[in-house]
Amino acid sequence: MNDISGAIIRQSAHGSVTIRSRCSPEEIRTFVFDSQFGTHAHYKSLYTRRESLENNAALPDADVTLALTDNDHIIGFGVLAYPEPGERWARLGPRLMMEVKAIEVSRNWRSAGVAGGILQTMMNRPMIEDKIIYMVGYSWTWDLDDTGRSTQAYRRMLIRLFEPCGFQEYQTNEPNICLKPENLLLGRIGRNVTKEQKDNFKWLRFDMFNTEE
Amino acid sequence: MRYPKEVVLKEGREAVIRPLQRDDEEMLRRFYAGIPERDRWFMRHDVMDPAVIAKWMDDVDTNKVYAIIALAEGRIVGHASLHMREFGSTRHMGRFRLMVLPEFRYKRLGTWLLLDLIQLAMDKGLSEVRADFVVGIEDAAIEAANKFDFFEKAVLKDYVRDEQGNRRDLLIMIKRLHKSWGDF
Repeated sequence: MNDISGAIIRQSAHGSVTIRSRCSPEEIRTFVFDSQFGTHAHYKSLYTRRESLENNAALPDADVTLALTDNDHIIGFGVLAYPEPGERWARLGPRLMMEVKAIEVSRNWRSAGVAGGILQTMMNRPMIEDKIIYMVGYSWTWDLDDTGRSTQAYRRMLIRLFEPCGFQEYQTNEPNICLKPENLLLGRIGRNVTKEQKDNFKWLRFDMFNTEE
Repeated sequence: MRYPKEVVLKEGREAVIRPLQRDDEEMLRRFYAGIPERDRWFMRHDVMDPAVIAKWMDDVDTNKVYAIIALAEGRIVGHASLHMREFGSTRHMGRFRLMVLPEFRYKRLGTWLLLDLIQLAMDKGLSEVRADFVVGIEDAAIEAANKFDFFEKAVLKDYVRDEQGNRRDLLIMIKRLHKSWGDF
């Protein structure tokens, strides 16, 4: 792995992959979205159109990180953005929590450390230390078919992917997460997050955080 | 799985879930001393017999039993275990046992313990888990099991007797642990 002016370059069996963070909508528009990001027999990609990445990249503080081949094909992407206003995780306060909304690598390019590189690049930003970054894993969005993993094995793989970047599993009573025991909430609390904010995050996880207090 | 796990119960009380350790023996004795005799009556073993707790401690770190405890305010307030067979026709099946201190019941502690055992059973590759409940005595646990998609496998009518000699039904509940999603 090399680090050249903020971009990470990874070698894989298919060639080199450049991982670039904070891509602008205009930049994204110049790249080709890999055809594997689509609908498969038992799996649908989180984003099936390049425009969805462009829209996310236009959001405040958002980060769309791309894994690109030498001929500018997008073969992996990560999306970091604030939660939607109606979501539980938005209640902690403006611009405090950010969600890793997606990390996906094209089926042809998996098992080459691309996802880890995307996540590592997304977390390599000073602003991250002021935030609580979280990821919600819903097992019904996982590509079990291609990976050949059980839900529990996939869950363990996600934990292994996120832990090196400082994430840990948190318990929550959020109803969608509680729908399946293999679903999970991973979080990373930045160094500059205050004790009060950490405590509030704890109450929020169990739906006991009152914004009027 | 990562421990300790921090959970917040109803009314904001906090608890921490972690595996039972060998040096928890005395604390576990005190926990069962706080369980009403009426509840202890329906347990599989006489937990007031020191040899029973000592035997459970011997089972820590074995592949047959996996036990977790919930700690709050410096004491054990819940104890749950997953029992597995290493051989034979029911090795695909795990059995759950769960006990919560009366003042911590109806506060979701049992639910968190149950969830942890389900995740563990999935991690162990089991395909089904079973829990037995005495109807009319363990109704809170039955309700929690229902919420986790346990279903009634059988009711053994008048199978057990309470300490007054009255007969009660034993409900056997099963939960299937799916390794993947269906295609529906």
